[in-house]
Amino acid sequence: MVLRSPLYENQVKLGAKFTEFAGFEMPIQYSSIREEHFVVRKKVGLFDVSHMSNVWITGSDAAKLISLTTVEDASRVEDGKSQYTAILRENGTIIDDTIFMHLNEKFMMIPNAGMNQIVTKWLNEQAKKHHLKAKAEDVSREYVILAIQGPKSKETLQKLTQTDLDMVKFFGCQVVKVADVECILSHTGYTGELGFELQITPTKKAAVVFDALLSAGDEFGIQPIGLGARDTLRLEKAFMLAGNEFEGGRTPLEATLGWTIFWDHEFIGKEALLKQKEQETYQRMTCLECVEKGIPRHKCEIQKDGTVVGIVTSGTLSPCLNIGIAMGYVMPDKREVGSILDIMVRDKPVKAKVMKPPFVPKDWAQKYERIAT
Amino acid sequence: MTHDVRDGLKYTKTHEWVKLTGAKAKIGITDHAQEELTDIVFVELPTVGKEVKKGDELCVVESVKSVSEVYTPVSGKVVAVNTKLDDSPEIINGSPYDDGWLVEIEVKDKSEVNTLLDAAAYKKL
Repeated sequence: MVLRSPLYENQVKLGAKFTEFAGFEMPIQYSSIREEHFVVRKKVGLFDVSHMSNVWITGSDAAKLISLTTVEDASRVEDGKSQYTAILRENGTIIDDTIFMHLNEKFMMIPNAGMNQIVTKWLNEQAKKHHLKAKAEDVSREYVILAIQGPKSKETLQKLTQTDLDMVKFFGCQVVKVADVECILSHTGYTGELGFELQITPTKKAAVVFDALLSAGDEFGIQPIGLGARDTLRLEKAFMLAGNEFEGGRTPLEATLGWTIFWDHEFIGKEALLKQKEQETYQRMTCLECVEKGIPRHKCEIQKDGTVVGIVTSGTLSPCLNIGIAMGYVMPDKREVGSILDIMVRDKPVKAKVMKPPFVPKDWAQKYERIAT
Repeated sequence: MTHDVRDGLKYTKTHEWVKLTGAKAKIGITDHAQEELTDIVFVELPTVGKEVKKGDELCVVESVKSVSEVYTPVSGKVVAVNTKLDDSPEIINGSPYDDGWLVEIEVKDKSEVNTLLDAAAYKKL
């Protein structure tokens, strides 16, 4: 069965084209991916990301359960803070990457689309196995998730809430009212721009917020944004897309998410990671920028002197840079910044340079914009 | 279908068009196809002189998100390619039937063209 967002009808009216993603029929684009991409980089865009999951983690051992099942020590995450982390299998590979929010005594976790049941089941199994007084509850279908992103996102949102958004720090979260509707607000996003995410329940109240945000942002040129631009926006910042970058089982060390690991606590998968850390011979996530024409895509081979040295997990034409960019896994001795590798696009090599992420720097539109839209 | 369909051209079910002038056929993608793709950002053209058979892959047209093959509706030899598309592939979005043509083929067998759809039949798809 294909699921739809509670805002489906609103999106149809706005002229959305739909695609299926992780079992959901969601807007891929409204006007065009390129146009929407630049709206978010330069102005403000509104995303419906209700396909993402919502899981409440409650009980006196809630923090302990998160600490056990993620690379983060949740006791370090203060009330009112969001944290990006990863849930691992015993063998160290990533089940899912996620953000969790500390909201008073409870935690809300936001697993990826289609991961709600897997993550909830895994957490409850581990709670039982380790005798923790904690419960995970899948409430994904009870929430609409909106993301408002772009340099004008704060000004837009501020028009609809009494909460002083200057007081909400990056990765801060709290319950606020937006257009008189109670929402969980988190100062987070997946675009690399200034932005906020809103969790709204019951879902029937979401249309009010959705419409109010579009009206409030009108003076700044707001547009609804589809999943197409969401993907190009995140790729320019080299943010992971779980289904692509963790496909086939990748550890956080391979995914260059070592910075998320808080080593000084016990967690599932730690032993495997410690073992891997001692080796040098594992592929690592690598950013590649094409230096000639061609667009790398998912599963293109990466070669050096005719030998396969890795594989592309995500690739696109970067709308901001107007060149092909790719993320992929490469052996460590082949990924020195500045070195040139071949990405095989339809059996032809396209030369690409190893880059330090992100491809597109912070506040690109203000500093570097050179393409007229 | 609200898209532009030109009379006098021949069409395929896979949304290519053919314009036959003498023994030469210009080939492109239809207004419907360019709208489905939106934001065409890259076109891979064949080399001039290449011999192609009806149904072969002729070009690759890429949008930001997708890769689409264009199949040749006729057999023959590639005699010209639209090199303007190398630097400005978006021309196809603005002018799919005129400036956005892809390839010109010297047709081997003109009767192949007759088997293609006419504008009225293509509109019905």
